[in-house]
Amino acid sequence: MARIVIGFALVAFVLVSQSVFIVGEWQQGLITQLGMPVRIIREPGLDVKLPLLQTLTRFDKRILITDAQAAEYLTLDKKRLAVDHVSRWRIRDPLEFYRTVRDERGAMARLDDIIFARLRQEIAKHNFADFIREKREGIMQAVTAGTREMAVPFGIEVVDVRIKRADLPSEVQASVYARMRAERDRIAKRYRAEGEERARHIRASADKDREIIVAKAYEESQRLIGEGDAEAVAIYAQAFGRDPEFYGFLRRLESYEKIFAEGATVILPADSDLLRYLQGPRAQ
Amino acid sequence: MAPRQYGGEPFPTPNLREGVDELRRRLGQARQWLRGPRGVLVLGGLLLLWIASGLYIVGPGERGVVLLFGKLWSQTQPGLRYRLPWPIQARQVVDTARVRRAEIGFRTSEGRSMPVPEESLMLTGDENIVDVQLFVQYLVQDPVKFLFRARDPETVLRASAEVALRGVVGQNTVDYTMTEGRVEVQERVKTYLQGLLDAYETGLLVTEARLLVVDPPRDVREAFHDVVRAWEDRERLIKEAEGYAEDVVPKARGEAAQMLQQAEAYRAQRVIRAQGDAARFLKVLGEYDKAKTVTRERLYLESAERILPKTQKFVLQGDGSRDVVPFLPLKDLVPAPPAERSKPPAPPGPGR
Repeated sequence: MARIVIGFALVAFVLVSQSVFIVGEWQQGLITQLGMPVRIIREPGLDVKLPLLQTLTRFDKRILITDAQAAEYLTLDKKRLAVDHVSRWRIRDPLEFYRTVRDERGAMARLDDIIFARLRQEIAKHNFADFIREKREGIMQAVTAGTREMAVPFGIEVVDVRIKRADLPSEVQASVYARMRAERDRIAKRYRAEGEERARHIRASADKDREIIVAKAYEESQRLIGEGDAEAVAIYAQAFGRDPEFYGFLRRLESYEKIFAEGATVILPADSDLLRYLQGPRAQ
Repeated sequence: MAPRQYGGEPFPTPNLREGVDELRRRLGQARQWLRGPRGVLVLGGLLLLWIASGLYIVGPGERGVVLLFGKLWSQTQPGLRYRLPWPIQARQVVDTARVRRAEIGFRTSEGRSMPVPEESLMLTGDENIVDVQLFVQYLVQDPVKFLFRARDPETVLRASAEVALRGVVGQNTVDYTMTEGRVEVQERVKTYLQGLLDAYETGLLVTEARLLVVDPPRDVREAFHDVVRAWEDRERLIKEAEGYAEDVVPKARGEAAQMLQQAEAYRAQRVIRAQGDAARFLKVLGEYDKAKTVTRERLYLESAERILPKTQKFVLQGDGSRDVVPFLPLKDLVPAPPAERSKPPAPPGPGR
């Protein structure tokens, strides 16, 4: 009796564990009956299926990320570019997904193929500079739109495709560095030349100011000197004009004293006015 | 059980039979032991333990998420909480207060920062390459999204931060990013990144995105440093020139003032001296007018007395030139020291 009960319990346990299942909040499921899809479970919670006959395959419902390897692309102006993209997607239709790509690994491989092709196509339409600058967002949107459309048959909804790294191939980097150095040199030279320019300007302007200041002072001082001289001349003229002959007399006497320094040789004619009495006491 | 043969190998019958018998005996003993109230007690204890397994603690700054058969049921606040035991309900606890950090372009290990060039080197809008290190702080804002909407949200954040950083840096020039645009780049990276995180339903909130390093790559760093030095040179040259101007102009003003003062002095003394000379002359003239002849003679002779004693004198009879051979010894005519003249000082000459 006890054995029968235990047997029943065992069978019941197996049946329940084979038919009742939980689908998590982040999951969705596909039930197949002998390989034929029966239904899709989108809502999380407790659910049942036929035991043994039906099988449940679970899929992730969350947004999934694929971080692809970098690949080289050619831009419109024939520059090579190493681009590394990230795509985000979710499984929209588990049935199509299961039928076409089976699992995430297959999906990633398929998605990468699509994206590589789209990227190649889009990047080839743009010049390198545009791609780096303003076109990046546009290209990403174009690739996302194209990929989204092409991924629908696989039951995949592509959220977006983003370009993570867009770098020059390493062998091109050296020439970029060389160009950067040249550009920096140019800027450095300009700064130094500008400094020289400004400095010269400032110095010359200071010199100019100095010359003008000094010249103005010279002008003014010469005027003052002239005034002094003129005034002195007027005073002398006014005073000496009273008796020009006497002035001449006095001034000459003064001059003689200055002219005849010590030790000078003077030849005096014996009949000069000074020595006239040496010849005799008579008045001549 | 009858002994059976598998692939011709003899089944180890005696040992198995012994084992089965032993197991039966033990089971019988256990059943014996569990019979009656004791069994109820054990079963009740196990039941209690099962029910009690639903107790859990949500720590401060944490948020609990309860699932009923895998489906979202409720969110719980910090404290001691209860959920129905497995397999009916399950719970997950997420720390929503802890500020998490992500490092782009470098890794910190044991307090030392190691650069990661493949992450940190990126192209700028003007086709230069710049070395950028970004530091992101974030926290979990929405635990439900964090747990169930995106797979591995923190990896998503890292990748998105790179996308955002490279996207923004790629739109600006190298100079702008490295200098005045740094704060703006930072802000735009943050906004861009938050936008991506929202689009991917990660439930993460970026609290801070900071550019730690924005440098030229190692290979060209020297050239960039030279630009900085060139700028300093430029400023130095200008400052030096300004210093020269500061030196020269006041000196020139001083010189001008000096010149003017000297000229003023000259004018004044010239007039005063002239007045003195005139006064002296007029005085003498006043007396001279009273006795002209005598004064003339006296003045003349006094001058002669002052001059002649100091000189060598020759007195020649008659017209001296007729009896003496005119001989001019040029060699002896050394320039005699110019006699000191008691004239007023010479006017300051032209020029500086």
